[in-house]
Amino acid sequence: MKLTIGHLYPDLLNLYGDRGNIQCFRKRLAWRGMEAEVVPFFSGDTIDFTELDLVLLGGGSDREQELVCGYLKEIRQSLKEYVENDGVLLAVCGGYQLLGNYYKTDKKLIEGLEILDIYTEWEPERLVSNLILNSPLVKTPIAGFENHGGRTYIGNYTPLGKVAFGYGNTGKTGYEGVVYKNVIATYLHGPLLPKNPEVCDWLLERALKRKYGEEQKLMPLSDELEYRANEYIVNRYNDRKYVWKEKIKKHT
Amino acid sequence: MRGSMRIRSRIAIRCAKITAAVIRKLNRGSGVTLPGYVARKIDPKILSVMSEMVREKIIVTTGTNGKTTTNSILAHVLKAEGKKVVFNRTGSNMQNGIISTFVLETDKKGRLDADYACIEVDENASVGVFPQLKPDGILLTNLSRDQLDRFGEVDITRGKIKKAVLSVPEAKFILNCDDVLSYSLAQECKNPVVTYGINEQIFDDISRSEIRESIFCRACGKKLEYEFFHYGQLGIYHCQNCGFSHPTPDYAASKIEYSNETYSFEIDGIFIDSGAGSPYNVYNTLSAYAALGAINAPHKRFKEAVESFDYRNNRESVFQISGARVQLHLAKNPIGFQQKISLLLKDPSPKDVVIQINDAVQDGTDISWLWDVDFQYLADSNVASITTAGTRRYDMGLRLKYEDIESGVTEELEETVKTLAESGTGNLYIIVNYTGLYRTNHMLSVLADA
Repeated sequence: MKLTIGHLYPDLLNLYGDRGNIQCFRKRLAWRGMEAEVVPFFSGDTIDFTELDLVLLGGGSDREQELVCGYLKEIRQSLKEYVENDGVLLAVCGGYQLLGNYYKTDKKLIEGLEILDIYTEWEPERLVSNLILNSPLVKTPIAGFENHGGRTYIGNYTPLGKVAFGYGNTGKTGYEGVVYKNVIATYLHGPLLPKNPEVCDWLLERALKRKYGEEQKLMPLSDELEYRANEYIVNRYNDRKYVWKEKIKKHT
Repeated sequence: MRGSMRIRSRIAIRCAKITAAVIRKLNRGSGVTLPGYVARKIDPKILSVMSEMVREKIIVTTGTNGKTTTNSILAHVLKAEGKKVVFNRTGSNMQNGIISTFVLETDKKGRLDADYACIEVDENASVGVFPQLKPDGILLTNLSRDQLDRFGEVDITRGKIKKAVLSVPEAKFILNCDDVLSYSLAQECKNPVVTYGINEQIFDDISRSEIRESIFCRACGKKLEYEFFHYGQLGIYHCQNCGFSHPTPDYAASKIEYSNETYSFEIDGIFIDSGAGSPYNVYNTLSAYAALGAINAPHKRFKEAVESFDYRNNRESVFQISGARVQLHLAKNPIGFQQKISLLLKDPSPKDVVIQINDAVQDGTDISWLWDVDFQYLADSNVASITTAGTRRYDMGLRLKYEDIESGVTEELEETVKTLAESGTGNLYIIVNYTGLYRTNHMLSVLADA
């Protein structure tokens, strides 16, 4: 079996180790004897979404997001069809914001792809923190890092999870990310997938099912190191004493 | 008014010195920031007061990589020219650390005896520091992603430096024109600009790194064309759309050759047989030369001074432990780490490697940058073992796992070092990020064979 993974605009959107998400898809398929073909699409390339099984839209700086916006207009319709046809998509940080209607920064309004009916507004205080979620998608808490100036308002969409530690979509609602059909959109990087292998497998299973029909159950892998890295962050922020210490340090 | 200011400054200096003495007595760290904090609380203008006491000129160095080395080269050359130089040698480059550097250098009466000040300044601190120091020259080494949890985005860092440079419009602005982020920044400032660059391709594939900052034209937003890349976004570029392009640098290094583990090159017709083992240090040396030239500082003895310069600079140290050669290296961002991997590959003998990754505030609390480093090359570096340590040891191990590279973990770094020194390959590399440096260096000095 084989999946074709489209990495969108790695020349513009490559912040925070997004590459790690691609690597995670690739290895977790390879370790199970499956093949992964990663196709990078650079700004200006034409993209045929019907040939893709998995798409990653990563994060970039505000300026780069504005640049990418021009290229996105050309693919808006075909990406929307891909998503509505249960195409599997992971959008991280800037990519998450771009899926919505718009991102209003302090200087201008960046048009979004309008694939999700959500919007983002910039505020001067950046939300920077380790981030832990409890998500109904997976058994283990999701751990990572967030670093964003935008606040994303998701309306009635299903969030990816409930914030156990950190800020999330707006810093106020207590929720983070969006899950829509086979799309996961989130502020979590770190990168997201290596430390949260169940999320990676969730995406892979859906992509395999879409391509090969019947329900796909992936062979379990030895994920000891993955869980150790995840647990370290989860336990650290379960420790009230530690959290206070960190708060005090931050303010002095 | 002037009199009262002086008393205030003198009290500030005295209190800072007492603070430093107490820290030393209590043996609590290296004590490089608190004295400055104390001095600034007592006299908020202390940095301006100190900078006015510098007799001739002040050079500040900022940028992502190479600050400490470049600043040390500047100080080293000026000393060789017979100048008295004050400089922040430990690389404590935030406002308080810089103030400490100055005040702890004063005599009993609080007077500074210095012809030159060479000051390395953190990118974020530049906005507060430049207007007080009123430098004659600003040297910007390069810009790339670093501690994004603290800086936000590279563009935000760039914006801060721009603001800082604009606040001292008379200062000469010396920068690396191979870096499009730096060069375009200079064009947005009104300062007199002096550029340096390298027109030859000297970096190997391993140190080149695939991850780069934006290579989209700052003027029109179209993708830049590159003749070649040095590493990151550094290279020879031009924009086909609007004509923006890499200039002919005012200072260039040429005839760059690598033999016997060191680089030789020519700047301004001067042949330099340096002790530099990495191509990055060719840049650092060139930038120092350009800065001295730009502000008309003496540099007749540049060749001799640089040829005797020790590039390792506390950030790379070699120890003998139980007969093994143990090297300590600092790597704190993707481009810096890539350089270390390139170094490991240049050493063909079998080796053990320990990588310690911490995530304290000074290190950067976001460790996602580890995924921007091309670790796959480690598989070809003749490593007998890799051990990960530090608060984020599992993340580091995970990074390697996803390149199919095996590693072990340790919570007891000292024990691991002892074991590897005694029964390993006899060739141990320890790579740490910021907060690990001081403690590990101390630990290795204690373990070192007498």
